Amino acid sequence: MLTLYDYELSGSCYKVRLMLGFLGLAHETRHVDFHPGREHKADAFLAINPLGQLPVIDDDGYVLRDANAILTYLASAHDPDGSWGFGGDAVRNGRIAEWLGFASDFTGTIGAARLHDAFFYDLDAEAARAGGRRLLCILDEHLWFQERQAAQWLAPGDHPSIADIACFPYTALAQDADLDLADYPAIRRWHDRFKRVPGFTVMPGVFPARG
Amino acid sequence: MLTEEQRRTWQPIAASTDLVPRHVFAGSIWGQELAVWRADDGHVNVWENRCLHRGVRLTIGVNLGSELMCQYHGWRYANRTAGCTYIPAHPADAPARTICNRVYPALERHGLVWAALEGTVEEADLPELPADGLVLRPIPVAVPPAEVKAALTIEFGRDDVRWLVQPVDAGRSVIRGVLGEAPADPLPALRVWSARLGRLRDRLEALPRPPVEPIPAELHRVDSALAGMPEPGPAGASLRVRVARKWPVAADVTAFRLAPLAGELPAFQPGAHIDVALPNGLTRQYSLTNGPDDTRSWVIGVKREPAGLGGSACLHDVVREGDVLAVSPPRNNFPLRRDGLLTLFVAGGIGLTPLLAMARTLHLARLPYRFHAFARSADHLPFVDVLDGLGDAVERHIGLDPAATTAALEAIIGTQGEKHELYVCGPTPFLDAARTIAAAKGWPDEAVHFEYFKNERPRDASTAFELALARSALTLEIAPGQSIVEAVAAHGIHIPTSCAQGACGTCRVGVIEGAIDHQDVHLTPSEKARGDCLMACVSRAAGGRLVLDL
Repeated sequence: MLTLYDYELSGSCYKVRLMLGFLGLAHETRHVDFHPGREHKADAFLAINPLGQLPVIDDDGYVLRDANAILTYLASAHDPDGSWGFGGDAVRNGRIAEWLGFASDFTGTIGAARLHDAFFYDLDAEAARAGGRRLLCILDEHLWFQERQAAQWLAPGDHPSIADIACFPYTALAQDADLDLADYPAIRRWHDRFKRVPGFTVMPGVFPARG
Repeated sequence: MLTEEQRRTWQPIAASTDLVPRHVFAGSIWGQELAVWRADDGHVNVWENRCLHRGVRLTIGVNLGSELMCQYHGWRYANRTAGCTYIPAHPADAPARTICNRVYPALERHGLVWAALEGTVEEADLPELPADGLVLRPIPVAVPPAEVKAALTIEFGRDDVRWLVQPVDAGRSVIRGVLGEAPADPLPALRVWSARLGRLRDRLEALPRPPVEPIPAELHRVDSALAGMPEPGPAGASLRVRVARKWPVAADVTAFRLAPLAGELPAFQPGAHIDVALPNGLTRQYSLTNGPDDTRSWVIGVKREPAGLGGSACLHDVVREGDVLAVSPPRNNFPLRRDGLLTLFVAGGIGLTPLLAMARTLHLARLPYRFHAFARSADHLPFVDVLDGLGDAVERHIGLDPAATTAALEAIIGTQGEKHELYVCGPTPFLDAARTIAAAKGWPDEAVHFEYFKNERPRDASTAFELALARSALTLEIAPGQSIVEAVAAHGIHIPTSCAQGACGTCRVGVIEGAIDHQDVHLTPSEKARGDCLMACVSRAAGGRLVLDL
């Protein structure tokens, strides 16, 4: 059985929950009280992940940390069609890896500003927001040109990839970090498309698309 | 406060390509947030970005194709008019017509969507643009519009690009450029300009400048025409419509498509009817058959009633295409619930008209329903083309005698499943039979919805009684032969009416005290037993006195 160490309000844990939803994978959830309990820094959890970070999975004894790593693993181990992960051609695989890295930058900017605003972390929120805006500009431009070429997703190909999953949460939660997505219309349209992928799941602050 | 010029100038708020199907785009002019969405019929709606219920932004709502749904409590607003069509927390009620969102003037030209904050703009006021230009990627800039304009002129004034700067707010802009001539392959040019403008944005945003206060959102009062009470009496035919098309839809049934003389017709909900003032002085009620995806003109079906007083005959024989008719705004006394797990529509003959509008609504929303249409012969079944559009959900019952009709109704209605709703409309005997069967099978009154065309029950206006109006502090004597509506009108109190025979439900008035002699066919038996309201056009006191909430 697959176990997810999860915190509901975490954008990074949401990446894994999205993946599990798209793959329809049965799993157990262990709730880790990130705030205010700081259970992720408690000894019991540090024994699982010495970095004290969520998410972590335990797939029948195979323990894996880091959202990008988990997405890569799940796509290799549990996606029979190979459509989400690195099963495509070299160009697609390269782009997926590129946008997975970009997603980590979102965690360090929008995610950080959100930690400041919503979880009272002491950090330079304005610098984090400015960094987030810069990344959103780049993502919006990429998606706008993808639309011009009838491409719907971050990486080339007709099927969304783990790169879309990785970039979705913190852009969809931008409002929590006081960033207005009205300036990034192509990102908003990509969100709508992503929300209509069968198996999509929501989290607090992320609304479903219908119709 | 915004200036006249800020209000009255067309601003480009989006590119046409921004408004993809089933999406809600976030726009803004001078700090006024806009919810922008394209309906499935192509129409571009530009509304205030605020649900009238709890003020939640409609840009996080859902574009349902012909309605926009607020994300918070699911209020639905109609394409074009922004009138509220459904409130899930009150599924059995028709939303008041005052619940209508603010609609801004909008145009789609030259690949751009234009809007203005006030309605007095005209298309001729649009700036001239190249007919086959190339709309560049828009670049938002956190810099005041005037500064952006000046910088564009200095940097790119000599290029073959028409520069437009959308004033998002006092300190925010969007650069929208239109290249004079679209190259065969537009991508390289689009990339070059996206990069150039991105660098300009970075440079301008880095310049030191004092912070600019955002312009506060303006709140608007409800339009006075909407805020007023409905016009009294059946003469309240305040709308003028043109008969755009008149065509036969069955033996003895003629359909009329009624179009506005200008602008848009008011919002309506499935089940609504209008009063039609006829050239011969009569007024008749007809249900709208339109679905929520067909709101630009109304379609009514009129059955010729040879034994009638000449209302239907006048429409059939006198009214022609091109004629102008006076009609009332739509009223809905037959609201459609959208929360049933299965909705059964049972239509007898021309009684299918309001049910057609309802079924089209559920069909578009992909909610489960079955539609049973009864008719004397295949030729007597109206609106066959619309029924065909509903596909497998429709079952036709043609040419049944009364016994076979009853048997068919027994089979259709059956016992009520969980959250099943029944809607019935048709001639009186048909409707009576359906209601009797539903009651016998144990359907509760609340789940059986019906509308009679006319009140064929015997009525008795021979009693005299005392009528007290609690809010008006007035006591009247009602004489035999006089209705409550007539008596209070003589004292300047107007109760809105429509059919004047206790069928349509428009003249419902609250009763505070006194036993009621109900003579209508609108209220359900349990509503009548509750004794807290009556139909003022026909009902009277059962004792000697009534106190009304008027």
